[in-house]
Amino acid sequence: MYKRYQIETSPARLSLTTIGKFKITRDNKCLNCGRCTNLCIYDVHKRDAEDLRKMAEPASHLCKNCFSCIQNCPQQSLRMVKNEEYENLGNSYWTPEMIHTIWSEAEEGKIPVFGAGYRGPFKGPGFDEIWTDMSEIVRPTRDGIHGREYIATSVDLGRKLSWIADFEKFCFPNFYEIQIPMLLDTAPLGFNSKNLILAIIQAGREIETFSFLDVENYFDELEPFLGSIVLRATLEGIADLDRTPWREVNFIEIILPNKFRASQLERKLEELRSLNRKALISLALEDPFPSEEILKQFQEQRADVLNFYANIRGRSSEGNIFISDSIRKLHLDFVKKSIRDEITIIGKGGIAAAEHVPKLIICGADAVVLDLALLVAMGCRVCRDCRAKSCPAELEKLVPEFAKQRIVNLACAWRDQLLEVLSAMGIRDVRRLRGEAGRAMFYDEIEKESFEFIFKKSGLSQ
Amino acid sequence: MNGIEARKAASRFLNGIGKFKISLSEKCFHCGLCVEICPSGVFERQDGFNQVRVANPGQCPGPDCQKGTFFCSKKCPVEAIKIEPDPQWKTLGDFRWTPDLILATWEQAETGEIARDHLEYRIGASGGGFDNFDFVIKSSTPPSSEAIDSISTSISLNRRREGQAIKIPIPWYGAGMSFGSVSLPVMLARAMAAQAWGTFTSTGEGGYPDELIPYRNCVITQIATGLFGVNEETIKRAPVIEFKYAQGAKPGLGGHLLGDKNSAEVARMRETVCGTSLFSPFPFHSVYSVEDHKKHIDWVKVINPEALVSVKVSTPSDVDMVAVGSYYAGANIIHLDGGYGGTGAAPEIAKKNIAMPIEYAITKVHRFLLQEGVRDEIVLMASGGIRTAYDIAKSIALGADGAVIGTGELVALGCVRCTNCESGRGCPRGIATTDPELEKQISPAWAAQRIINLYASWQKQLKLLLCRLELNDITELRGRTDLLRPIDEK
Repeated sequence: MYKRYQIETSPARLSLTTIGKFKITRDNKCLNCGRCTNLCIYDVHKRDAEDLRKMAEPASHLCKNCFSCIQNCPQQSLRMVKNEEYENLGNSYWTPEMIHTIWSEAEEGKIPVFGAGYRGPFKGPGFDEIWTDMSEIVRPTRDGIHGREYIATSVDLGRKLSWIADFEKFCFPNFYEIQIPMLLDTAPLGFNSKNLILAIIQAGREIETFSFLDVENYFDELEPFLGSIVLRATLEGIADLDRTPWREVNFIEIILPNKFRASQLERKLEELRSLNRKALISLALEDPFPSEEILKQFQEQRADVLNFYANIRGRSSEGNIFISDSIRKLHLDFVKKSIRDEITIIGKGGIAAAEHVPKLIICGADAVVLDLALLVAMGCRVCRDCRAKSCPAELEKLVPEFAKQRIVNLACAWRDQLLEVLSAMGIRDVRRLRGEAGRAMFYDEIEKESFEFIFKKSGLSQ
Repeated sequence: MNGIEARKAASRFLNGIGKFKISLSEKCFHCGLCVEICPSGVFERQDGFNQVRVANPGQCPGPDCQKGTFFCSKKCPVEAIKIEPDPQWKTLGDFRWTPDLILATWEQAETGEIARDHLEYRIGASGGGFDNFDFVIKSSTPPSSEAIDSISTSISLNRRREGQAIKIPIPWYGAGMSFGSVSLPVMLARAMAAQAWGTFTSTGEGGYPDELIPYRNCVITQIATGLFGVNEETIKRAPVIEFKYAQGAKPGLGGHLLGDKNSAEVARMRETVCGTSLFSPFPFHSVYSVEDHKKHIDWVKVINPEALVSVKVSTPSDVDMVAVGSYYAGANIIHLDGGYGGTGAAPEIAKKNIAMPIEYAITKVHRFLLQEGVRDEIVLMASGGIRTAYDIAKSIALGADGAVIGTGELVALGCVRCTNCESGRGCPRGIATTDPELEKQISPAWAAQRIINLYASWQKQLKLLLCRLELNDITELRGRTDLLRPIDEK
């Protein structure tokens, strides 16, 4: 029977992620009159359970910034300041807002819905320079996530040949469908505990996608999950091919060094293919604008997937190019050669919010790889100090089943938001979103188009 | 305009919020000098009391006050007054609505006068769009009051030859906010303010409460995709009918009222089941082409031949085509709602990422309508992130005829933009709520006066600005992009 794809969520609360944005302080002018307990509809203010004559410490993490208590306190004894602990989360790319959002998505599995309009800057760097489109009237019925119409989020990984050049030598390219255009990475930062790896891989299995695993981190308990694992190694790391994982996995990734000999790659691939005929082969690059030579290798070696690696801020290690720019160029390079469908392009690095997924797909990726976002879902604060005993999120104590649920919740929330974006555009299949740059607005282009007359006149036109 | 009186409408809260923290040290012996000299009424000694207290720190303009001879902290005989920047101030507002903008809007709503200089009341801190432009001022001498009086800020809402002529004295009207998203007292206040000014407010999509009938000449009713509370009676009642295709904050996603706010009263008005979440679908399921759209407009004109038709759309990349289509379908007003606009509830992802900011859309549509040769037959209204009188003026300079205001009015009523309108009991400040207890915080008469005052201040600002641009009429400003310059350039 036909089954509609659905992700099952269930609440998974983590006590370490209740860091409020604000801090409410009460000074000694307070008369314990209790007016604030009546005014606050979020239960920030309560009487002290042990001594009802007194007020308890305000539960600041519940505060939602409404100022009702502060503006009505007869003694002016309440004040609100920013919570430093919150302000110090993350960094300039992984902002406190993003981390907070991921936490609540991982907790509830729901789309963040709030009142009032947009509150942020007009535009920001990277993904924040892109707006996606919508269409007003002339599209068929759709109601997004609430709706009657089904929007497909599955994508195919593998080569789709345009034609068969030589029937004699032809063998079917491998091909796998994943249900959401997101793959998971088990090595998001320095942290690589077994529990963490297991949680991510189990989540990947449950939501029907692949999880990347460095071959040196493989352990036997993972054997039942081999079908959902992308086994990853450097070119030199492809050794001990007799071991089970190499033979059983459906997907292998080789990280290409900046310089390598084509013959070496060819030999390794031949070895792999003779041993495992069903695995997709992905070649990973860190070069934001790879040379013609290298791109030719992808075609000649019949690579199924190209995976572009950026750092956790979405930038290339060389040249500081943002991932959306690299992917856009890669996509167009293959389009120009009329071989775009003969390779799957995915990108990893800097995917920190739900909107980054459709935006990278619009730039030309078939799917994206989630890395640090998974760790954040488990409670990470992006402090970049990954040592087992000092982790403020106590990641070393994670229970795999619980951590898995948080990742599943995150995936569900992000998929639902992808559906929102697709439905606004009138697109019913995420595969049709790929490379649809015409259905997006890019800051530089639209700013020039709209305001050139103002800036030109003043000599500021770039 | 004549007969519109700005009257003091003080804050309904005990304590104000301000930029500065003022404290009296132990040295204070309550002489009361500061109470006498402070022109802003920061200090207070209640009748029959000996103690002086800091009653209204929110009113203190801080260092700006030093220019006067009455600066309290220097005059205090025992130097007991301490004035310092208030860290609490930073917890207010955001990039688009800076703490200054919120406080300045409160001040204007309170007094009906232009906000004082210690608050930046013209511009936000979003770093783009409106916040990136300023006007090229031509005349820097302060205009005479006669010159200001002679300036017209009136616009017409029907520029076609047929149909009734409707003019509004100020180039803006109130945006659609439904019963359910906001409370009835707020709707009433908006209608009262609209009537006082001779402009309009809109019911939004949630029915037309009977209490608004006395103000029917100033109430636009909305027909949106869920058709909640729409019937022949309400359509016959309204001088302007607004078709809402999409909303800027959630373009392409339809409306959204979470179950918490769907109270018995709201459900009755909308003819739905109390406590269920209500979704207006997207799009109109009977409109898949401009021809279908025309059919819709014809249908309304059969029911109410007198009414003007406004078409509210958000801002996709082909918004110019949509606008021209609406013109040919017979609309009188095309209302563009940009991506950064307000909402009672919307997915966060939609607010920033889907559809373009209004600044781009105005330019695009205005130019396209000009090219098509139909610009002078249709009224272009802009909304979605228009916060101040200066934003209105900038929209007009970019090519709109006027603006539609939503959030600005709510801020005038005391909204702090805490973003919690959508669930639970709704707005803790009694504005965007259907909670019978919370909504009591707002009295319609007081709230109407706040909005009237804000409008008064805005009109003053527009008139002053027009004087300084050497224009006599707001309609002369339309499309004058030559009067705009990037802000970082002197």
